[in-house]
Amino acid sequence: MNIEQLMGLPGALAAFTYTDKGDLKDHRIREGTEITSQVLDLLAHSCVANMAVATLEARGWEALTGQKGFEPLQGFSMIGLEWSAVVNGNCGVVVKNRDVDYEITFNAIQSCQA
Amino acid sequence: MHLIKQLMAIPGVIAAGEFAYRGDRFSYEGALTSEFARMAAILCRSNTMSVNMQSEIFNSFAENCGCRPAQGWIVRGANASVCNVGNYFAFIENRPELLNDVMTILRAKVGDIGDDLLVNLYAKIGGDVKEALY
Repeated sequence: MNIEQLMGLPGALAAFTYTDKGDLKDHRIREGTEITSQVLDLLAHSCVANMAVATLEARGWEALTGQKGFEPLQGFSMIGLEWSAVVNGNCGVVVKNRDVDYEITFNAIQSCQA
Repeated sequence: MHLIKQLMAIPGVIAAGEFAYRGDRFSYEGALTSEFARMAAILCRSNTMSVNMQSEIFNSFAENCGCRPAQGWIVRGANASVCNVGNYFAFIENRPELLNDVMTILRAKVGDIGDDLLVNLYAKIGGDVKEALY
């Protein structure tokens, strides 16, 4: 799966790749949306931070409760009013909430090669 | 049917709950001890506040970009996931279509989260929200 294929997901408004630090490497934005490259850059940084925090929480939760099954994490999604950002590794995609299929989107993002 | 009971009726939902304000007021059902549910409520409240702050930042750079106010978040694990919409959370197994079903129910039943998240969270425990917060 690459950035062009991510744009083919149901409801995709934007797709992007980013470095381990969260700097935007490449992106596509569907014409007519209010999303800008600057927002995607900020989003990419928040993705790195959210994945790191989620990993901390998952690891702590598993150690403390004995409940397994969270690690290794396979993605994080932030749900906004009109769209959701779904990220994993060094790839992210923004999808309309109205059209989103979270299962398909998480599966796609896991197979994305940045 | 109450949302938590409705979620717990779905095969594959491990636990579901509701939290308010600081995260230490909560109710839940499912395979969690009371102490673990308290921890889950605090964790969910913290992540909710964090993504809400992030959406405010995005919005300040692109007004009406569709991100604000934040409605929730999902952590997808290897075999289990945590979903959060507003002040409701669910721990679920990664079964086919379960994530979509749970998110559809959460979004439909919780509804759109309003502009002021803290007021929204505090209102869940009643009282004079404005007086208590400002």
